[in-house]
Amino acid sequence: MRMQRFSPGRRLVALAGVAALAATMFGCGAGSAESDGRVTIRLGYYAEAGGPADKTMRSLADEFMKANSGIKLELESAPYTDFFKRLRTQLAGGRGPDVWLSDGVLVQEYAGRNSLRDLSDFVKTINTDDYYGVDLNRDSDGHVYGFPQGAQTPVLFYNKKMFADAGVAEPTGDWTYDDLTAAAKKLTRDTNGDGKPDVWGMRVYSPGFTESWWPMIKAFGGDIVADGGHKVVIDSPQSRAGLDWMLNAMYTEKAGPDVVTTKALGSPHTMFASNRVAMQFGIYARTIPANAAKIDLGVAPMPKGPAGRGHVAIANSWVVNKAANQRKAEAAWKWITYFASEKPQTNWAGIGEAIPINKKVAASDVFLKPGTPPANRQAFLDALAEADDLGLNPVWTEYTTAVANQIDRALAKEKPVGDALTDAQRDAQQIIDRFYANK
Amino acid sequence: MTTIEDRVEQGRRPSLGDGRRDGGERPGFGQRAWATVFAFPYLAHLVVLTAWPVLALAYFSLTDYDTLSSPRWVGLDNFRRLFGDEAFWRSLLNTAYFAVLFVPTQTILALLLAVALNQRLRWISWLRSAYFVPVVSSWVVVGYVADAVFNPQFGMANTVLGWLGLPPATWLQSPVLVIPTLALVAVWKGVGYMMVLFLAGLQNIPEELYEAAKIDGASAWQRFRRVTLPGISGTTFLVLVLSTITTLQAFEQVYVMTGPMRGQPAGQPNGASEMTVLFMYQQGFEFFNMGYASAVAWVLFALIFILTMVQLRLQKKWVHYA
Repeated sequence: MRMQRFSPGRRLVALAGVAALAATMFGCGAGSAESDGRVTIRLGYYAEAGGPADKTMRSLADEFMKANSGIKLELESAPYTDFFKRLRTQLAGGRGPDVWLSDGVLVQEYAGRNSLRDLSDFVKTINTDDYYGVDLNRDSDGHVYGFPQGAQTPVLFYNKKMFADAGVAEPTGDWTYDDLTAAAKKLTRDTNGDGKPDVWGMRVYSPGFTESWWPMIKAFGGDIVADGGHKVVIDSPQSRAGLDWMLNAMYTEKAGPDVVTTKALGSPHTMFASNRVAMQFGIYARTIPANAAKIDLGVAPMPKGPAGRGHVAIANSWVVNKAANQRKAEAAWKWITYFASEKPQTNWAGIGEAIPINKKVAASDVFLKPGTPPANRQAFLDALAEADDLGLNPVWTEYTTAVANQIDRALAKEKPVGDALTDAQRDAQQIIDRFYANK
Repeated sequence: MTTIEDRVEQGRRPSLGDGRRDGGERPGFGQRAWATVFAFPYLAHLVVLTAWPVLALAYFSLTDYDTLSSPRWVGLDNFRRLFGDEAFWRSLLNTAYFAVLFVPTQTILALLLAVALNQRLRWISWLRSAYFVPVVSSWVVVGYVADAVFNPQFGMANTVLGWLGLPPATWLQSPVLVIPTLALVAVWKGVGYMMVLFLAGLQNIPEELYEAAKIDGASAWQRFRRVTLPGISGTTFLVLVLSTITTLQAFEQVYVMTGPMRGQPAGQPNGASEMTVLFMYQQGFEFFNMGYASAVAWVLFALIFILTMVQLRLQKKWVHYA
């Protein structure tokens, strides 16, 4: 087939068309956000699309914009994992949201890499005593890079029906770790007669260490890091005592599923809701699956160890992009303080995902007597008031993974506890030192 | 590689610009412009999505780069650190162990299946399709199926062991058994594809060769050994190269089957199933060490390149092309 030869003019048009197509493909168009005089801020949060959290957030955003006509919120949401994957890419490309909801353990990871605005001056303008969790976001130099949105802290969850059926007295605030072992042993049963337990008194181990070895080590007097997250101190006799208690409960007393069995039973978060265990350490969010499964749920304070109850907490927090200009940062702070106020916190408490960070709301019937179990919600507030952070620093994910790998080996009996703690301390310290040496 | 312009110059194909077939003339501006226009999507893809990332990766591997702040030049530090990193070496050993189990098992099984199914029987196409079904299933689905089969508490695998009088195993939760279990599932999922390649190879062997061998008194084994195997040696080579590269790049299966389903990081138990690509992913996307992850990518590329070159060199001794 003979093809027509095009004139130079038409060639130019064709090439211009290709160039225009390419420009469209590679996204050259960046819209103006403030053309109508309002300040527009992009607000990111993680939630299942269309779920209760997503719907509540959107309705609160609408109310906020009605009350603040000079501010327009553009919402960007995705489920947890996708949200943080996308956030990393957005920030790398210089197009991150102006304000976003951060998992509490990630605040210092982003702050340490210069992505977050220091909110210390904003925070000085409010009375921080009115809120839970502000200090959980304070870094070793006293700077605050995030403001709490909702809080989580573990307490002792128990299945009231399983306790009643076994004739075991329910946990109290006076319980020690010995009491916990003794009750867990009584609650452990072999229901199918194969000679092995299939219902246990306590979920001792969980890969989610906030509800497992972290508070246990602290209750026995050990700790994971000190010196503002700079120094790893896990290799201690106290930490060893905490892990020995776990090994004893799982392998000697057989009062909890061992590590392999725990993993084989699926997600550790479903064991309590499926009546596999009568007790677990659980953060507030675990009340949702327990109530959905209609478990006769009770909560009690964490048991007392030789050095206390080992309370730890996470404050999921709003953070502001360092790249946001002053006007946007002020608008973002307005949203943050709005969200911390009574009405939004009351609405958010209604979802049941987190402990309200507004102390008035937390102390009200909205949180303490919502009509769904557990009854003793005060246990969460008491724990929160005494809780330490989870050893936060800019390499939290990496160093806690290194520590968890060693501890999991010890708890799976693949390695002596002493060796695991020594190696955990060495590996984690190397990671922290490397980060600070490069800064 | 021969381009359209080369072909036009050589006069082997009609030109796209003005239809002249006299190969002696150089293409005019119009031909070149149109060739560029038509090649643009591919070139853009090549430059933006391949060449640029490869160059960027080379640069990042020489920097301390967390993706959030500017890269800082560190020279060869990432590579020095890598060669002394116990976790990296463990991931390489895990990958090698996986490859040693997976590649020969899948290749032999795929060949046996192909030979068994290379017949004109009534239901043969259904059987071939059945073996191919796992290939088109997603790893998430396969992961859930495998979890049900190998669950130490309720899984079918332990029931079978019980019938055989053997004690139950912990499979994916065992540091010893996790990689063999992953290899077994990978073979189950991948064998159908390799079987199809072998079937194509088998069907290319002329029937006369078998007839001649029969007339010469060759047994079934001798026909397989002397006719079939040399006849499909090219396919076997392809299967080996593809399988080796697959194992070195193993990620999706490990990610799905060894972590998130139990609310824990992938690579469990305790790093016993951490392969090199997973190690790279965690460094780059979970720990903010993108410079270090880039160095891992280069080492992995070098390994795949060297292994493929070795296979290419060795194939001269045993692959017969018609």
